[in-house]
Amino acid sequence: MPDFSEIFSLQSILNYNGGCVVAMRGKNCVAIACDLRFGVQAQTISTDFERVFEVGPHLYIGLPGLATDTQTVFQRLQFRIKMYEMREGRRVKPRTLMAMVQNLLYERRFGPYFVEPVIAGLHPTTKEPYICALDLIGCECEPEDFVVSGTCSESLYGMCETTWREDMEPDDLFECISQSLVNAFDRDALSGWGAVVHVIEQDKVTTRYLKCRQD
Amino acid sequence: MSHLQSIMVQKSDDDKMHQLSSNLIMAVSGEAGDTTQFAEYIAKNIQLYKMRNGYELTPSAAVHFTRHTLATHLRSREPYFVNLLMGGFDPDSNTSELYYMDYLAASVPVKYYAFGYGGMFTLAVMDKDYRPNMNVDEAYELLKKCANEIKRRFIINLPKFRVRVISKDGIKELPYVVAEGEAA
Amino acid sequence: MATEVMEVGDYMRDPRKHHFSPYMDNGGTTVAIAGDDFVMVASDLRLSRGFNIFSREQSKIFGLTPKTMLASTGCWADVLTLNKVLQARLTMYSHEHHDVMSTTAVAQLLSTMLYWRRFFPYYVSNILVGLDEEGKGVVYHYDPVGHMEKLTYSAAGASVSQIQPLLDNQIDALNMKNVTPPKMTKELAHQLIHDAFISAAERDINTGDGVIIHTITKEGTSEEKIKLRRD
Repeated sequence: MPDFSEIFSLQSILNYNGGCVVAMRGKNCVAIACDLRFGVQAQTISTDFERVFEVGPHLYIGLPGLATDTQTVFQRLQFRIKMYEMREGRRVKPRTLMAMVQNLLYERRFGPYFVEPVIAGLHPTTKEPYICALDLIGCECEPEDFVVSGTCSESLYGMCETTWREDMEPDDLFECISQSLVNAFDRDALSGWGAVVHVIEQDKVTTRYLKCRQD
Repeated sequence: MSHLQSIMVQKSDDDKMHQLSSNLIMAVSGEAGDTTQFAEYIAKNIQLYKMRNGYELTPSAAVHFTRHTLATHLRSREPYFVNLLMGGFDPDSNTSELYYMDYLAASVPVKYYAFGYGGMFTLAVMDKDYRPNMNVDEAYELLKKCANEIKRRFIINLPKFRVRVISKDGIKELPYVVAEGEAA
Repeated sequence: MATEVMEVGDYMRDPRKHHFSPYMDNGGTTVAIAGDDFVMVASDLRLSRGFNIFSREQSKIFGLTPKTMLASTGCWADVLTLNKVLQARLTMYSHEHHDVMSTTAVAQLLSTMLYWRRFFPYYVSNILVGLDEEGKGVVYHYDPVGHMEKLTYSAAGASVSQIQPLLDNQIDALNMKNVTPPKMTKELAHQLIHDAFISAAERDINTGDGVIIHTITKEGTSEEKIKLRRD
C-alpha cells in the first residue's frame, strides 16, 4: 500500500523537497532570491527548479515548501490574478496580491497547501517597497527589513540579521541578499545547488543567476 | 519488463509504457492497479482532445494536463499512487522533452531519471556517462550499461528492458536491452 | 447494578502512563575563535527551559587548565556532571604526572569520555579551546557522543544555525570573489562574537541576557561581560 503517513507530519512535509526563499527591502528597491534545488528528501533530482515567480511588472512571489504545492498554488494564483486584472482593468498591487494569497491559502485551512509564501514588490504608483511572508494557512507578516522562508530559515535569519542595513542601494542590496542566501544554504543539505536573485527597482528588474558550490 | 508481486515474478513481458499520442510516451510505476488505470485515463483524454480539436497536445501541454489530474486526485479520498516519466518530441519547436512526475504531482523537466530501487544504481551510471548531445546508438549503449549495473548490484532479477525512441519520425521500438555480465 | 457499571467504568480506564525523559534542553549558545597566539571563547548568560528563564547570569564556560577552557551547552545537569568528572580526571592526571595536561590531550580525553557513554550519552554540545604545544590557538568541536573536529572557529548550542553561516562567511570568506580570508586578530574576533550574539539574541528566545568572552593568551586569561537584550 502507498504510504501517506508522512502527510500527517507537518514538519517533514514542508521539508520533503527542500528549498528556501528570502526577500529584502532596500532604498526604493526590493530584492527576492531563492535556491534552485528540487529533491526528494536526500536525493537531488533537478538543479534548475525556480521557486520565485514574476506575477506583475514589479511584483514577485516565492513559494518554498512541498514542490507539488509550489506548482499548484502558483497556477491557481496566476488564474486568480488574471481574472482580477481582466475584471478590474489594472495590474494587481502588492498588498492586494497578499490578500489574494491569504484567501487562497485560508480556503484550505484544515487541509492546507504546504507552502510558506514570500512576496516582494514595488507599489505601482507610489513605488513604495513591499515585502511580506505568510505561513501555510495565510497568516501574514510585513516587517520593515527582510523575510525568510524554507528549509534553512534559521540560518537565513542569522545571516540577514547581521548583514542587513537600512536604505541599501540596489547593488549593495544584491550583495547583501546573495551572501545571506548562499552562506545560509551552504549549511543546509536540502537547499542550494545554485541561486537566482531578482533586484526590483522603479525602472527595471535585474535577474542574476549565482554560481554556487554543488554539494 | 518484469511484473512483480511481493517475491513472485508474475509476468516477464509487461509493457509499462503507454503511448499518449503520435510523439508522446508515458512510463509509469507505482501501485499495481493505479498505474494502468491512471495511464489509460490520461491516454484516452489526450486522444479525445485530438479528436475534438483536430490537433494533438504538445508534450509540455500533456504534462500540464497530467499534473493537474494527478494533483486534483492527490487531495481526494482516493489518491493515485503513480510515479511517471513522460518523454515526447515537439515537432513545432523541434525539441525532445523528458519530464519527471512523482505521485505528489511534482513535475520537473529532467535529462534522465529512474524511479525506485533501480534509480539507486542507474542514476550514478547516467550522472557519469550522460551527455546532452548523444545520438540514439550512444543512448542505447548507456541504457545497456544501466541494465548491466542492475544485474550486477541489485538483488532482484530484472533481466529485460523495453526501449522506445521518440523522434521527429514518431515512435520506434528498439531491440530489448538484456542485462549482460555476472551478478556480483 | 449501578455500582457494577461504575466499577466496570473504573476498570475500563486505561492504565495510567508515567513518562520520564532523562534529558532537558536548557538552551545557551557558545562561540569560539582561534588566532595565531590567542583563542577567544564566548557564551551567552541565559539558562532556560522552554519559555522559562532560570538564570540571566549563568556562564557556560569552564576553566580546565591555565590554557584550556570548555564551553558546554545542552542539558545543564549533564553539563555539570560532565564537567565534574572531567575535572576529576584532570586532577588525577596532574597528581600522577606532576604536570597539567596539554590542550591536545584534554581534547582527546573529552572525546573518549563522551564515547564511553555512547548508549546513554551526555546531552551536551561541547567546544574545547586552548593553546597547543606551540602556543597557537585551537578550537575542538564535539558532538554529544564524542565525534571531534579540530577547527579554527566554531559555534554550538541553541543558535548554532544562525551563527555558523555568518562565521563561515566572515572568517573563511566563503562565497566571496577576490576576497582573501582576513588575518584573525583579537579585535576582529571580539567584534564578530559581539555581532553574532546580538543577532542571535534578536531571533532566538533561548539566547540572550548577556555574553561572557574569555581570551586565552600565553600571558594568561582575561574575561569581559557584555549586555544583551533581556526579553
